[in-house]
Amino acid sequence: MATYPQSASAAAPRFHLGRTGILWVGALALIALWAFAAWIYQLANGLVVTGMRDEVSWGLYISTFAFFVGLSAGGLIMASAAEVFGARSLKPLARIGVLSAAACVLVAAITIIPDLGKAQRVWELFVYPNWTSPLIWDIIIITVYFCFAVVDLALMTRRNGDPSARQRWLRVMAYVGLPAAVLLHSITAWIFGLQFARPFWNTALLAPLFVTSAILSGTALIALAALAAERFDKLTLPLQTWVTVRKLLATTLAIDLFLVAADYITIVWGNVPRDRAALDMILPGGNWQWLFWLEWLVGGLVPFLLLVVPRGHRPRLLGLAAALILVGVYAFRIELVVGGMLKPILWLAPGVSLGSYQLGASPFQQTGVYHPTWVEYSIIAGLIAFLALLLTLGYRWLKSLSQTEATP
Amino acid sequence: MAQDASHNWGMVIDQERCIGCWTCAVGCKVINNEPLGFWWNRILTTAPNEFSATSSADTITPPASDAIDVPHGTFPKLEMAYMPTACQHCDDAPCVKVCPVGATFQRDDGAILVDFERCIGCRYCMAACPYGVRVFDWGEAEHVPDFTVGYGRDYRTADGRLVFTPDRPIGVVEKCTLCVERIDVGEQPFCVDVCPTGARVFGDLNDASSEVSTLVHEDGATQLLGELGTDPHVFYLPTEPNRSA
Repeated sequence: MATYPQSASAAAPRFHLGRTGILWVGALALIALWAFAAWIYQLANGLVVTGMRDEVSWGLYISTFAFFVGLSAGGLIMASAAEVFGARSLKPLARIGVLSAAACVLVAAITIIPDLGKAQRVWELFVYPNWTSPLIWDIIIITVYFCFAVVDLALMTRRNGDPSARQRWLRVMAYVGLPAAVLLHSITAWIFGLQFARPFWNTALLAPLFVTSAILSGTALIALAALAAERFDKLTLPLQTWVTVRKLLATTLAIDLFLVAADYITIVWGNVPRDRAALDMILPGGNWQWLFWLEWLVGGLVPFLLLVVPRGHRPRLLGLAAALILVGVYAFRIELVVGGMLKPILWLAPGVSLGSYQLGASPFQQTGVYHPTWVEYSIIAGLIAFLALLLTLGYRWLKSLSQTEATP
Repeated sequence: MAQDASHNWGMVIDQERCIGCWTCAVGCKVINNEPLGFWWNRILTTAPNEFSATSSADTITPPASDAIDVPHGTFPKLEMAYMPTACQHCDDAPCVKVCPVGATFQRDDGAILVDFERCIGCRYCMAACPYGVRVFDWGEAEHVPDFTVGYGRDYRTADGRLVFTPDRPIGVVEKCTLCVERIDVGEQPFCVDVCPTGARVFGDLNDASSEVSTLVHEDGATQLLGELGTDPHVFYLPTEPNRSA
């Protein structure tokens, strides 16, 4: 399971690059370096060092990719909601938001690299694109979204020039940013959702579900980042901002779980074996039921109660709720990617060949088995550390630009 | 080595004749020098019924066993059939549609091939294939005995794409090639040649008088998971009691 930068930061380091700040940044850099070493090891030996095989042929890398893409949503939502929906109370989070959007989508793109068997051929994506492939659509929208976030950030941080013209441009960006974000998450969903070979993925609900869980997890990440900044960097956000964030989190969490439940009920009531196959592994009683509990209890009911029950702003409870939401959304990504591959449509003996051989073990798998290895955990920890590093340094940079302003 | 665009290759597998001996699967391994743990072709144990080629997975009761040759059903009502399953060479192939770099492609004669020099190893095609017939070179290929067997040479299509190599690169996806190196010189795929019961028939679907055409158009051979609309070039003849003709 993933660790999240802010919950780790609560332990010791502070955000200003004093001694603790350097320690924090240094620790993150070390984890990222370790991941890089693990990736070199994987390049030398092939993906055989991961837990993936022919049946579960996508694992933590692709799940984490989808998770990072989702995290990037919060940013442009924060920045755009203020303009488009008149939610002025979110305005103070606009810059942190756009920063996190750029950082998350960049790290998401990098996450595809370790999943490739031939990473040295990644340039072919730009030279020989096959336009029917949703993966190509996704690479295009990821590139556009990243450039958009960088330009948005540049506009927000520019100090010279005509301020009213800048405001006008920011307004335009807000109106473009919202549909761009919706498109990014829809296309990422369609990578999976369009595949009729995997009945568990093949639902029209997937795009709305990805958009919702993206807003949910993206907002949770920004809430955590802002809480950490309040705690370690003397940042103070208006109470109204926190009220809105809390409402936004509770509402999107409810909508997210509603959509998942709507999918479950369709599968369970219909009882079509091909559709039931994957869900049976995830519902209570199945081998992968821990995903269900993480999604519905740890990342569902508990954070929902933490968000709606307390009266007034309770930073610690809000931080805990946001962290749990991230756990739940990550569980949902694994549930979807790995769960969807556990039982092939032709679920017959002896199953699918493994693609590797161990003396005395069957070279076939009927029901998918997937145990991630230290290489996968290391690389994912490194990517998370890299993301935290980008956010920390980016925050410092924003702070240095806006010494006179109340919020960076 | 030019392939003739006027061909439209097809294969029919007669499930009544198949005895589940795995000779085609082993022959496939040998001719293609498949490393340990690789099976381009495998013989699924299933149950015969009207759509034995399509519906056997649609049972909520788990397969009778992880092991092959275990009958389906409850005693005394037991039944069993075999379904040799390799790449179905679909005309509307999801693997071709999802491949981001066009490494998987369809030749004019219907064969779906993978360009070993183009594949980036993203494995999207494996996620998209409903038949689970694609295998990935996860690591260094292992062979026992440790020397090259089978066709033994690289094979390129007329436009120069490397679609078979005995020495597997790490990190690309591979699968049944319909033995293009053999059919391009007028031979049959190796699985067809080695089948001891003649359960496999290979030929040109463009030729109305060919045996495959007859089996497909008159004897009611069906496509595996035909309802998905992938339109395979491989067809199955159901077992005898269930044959319509």
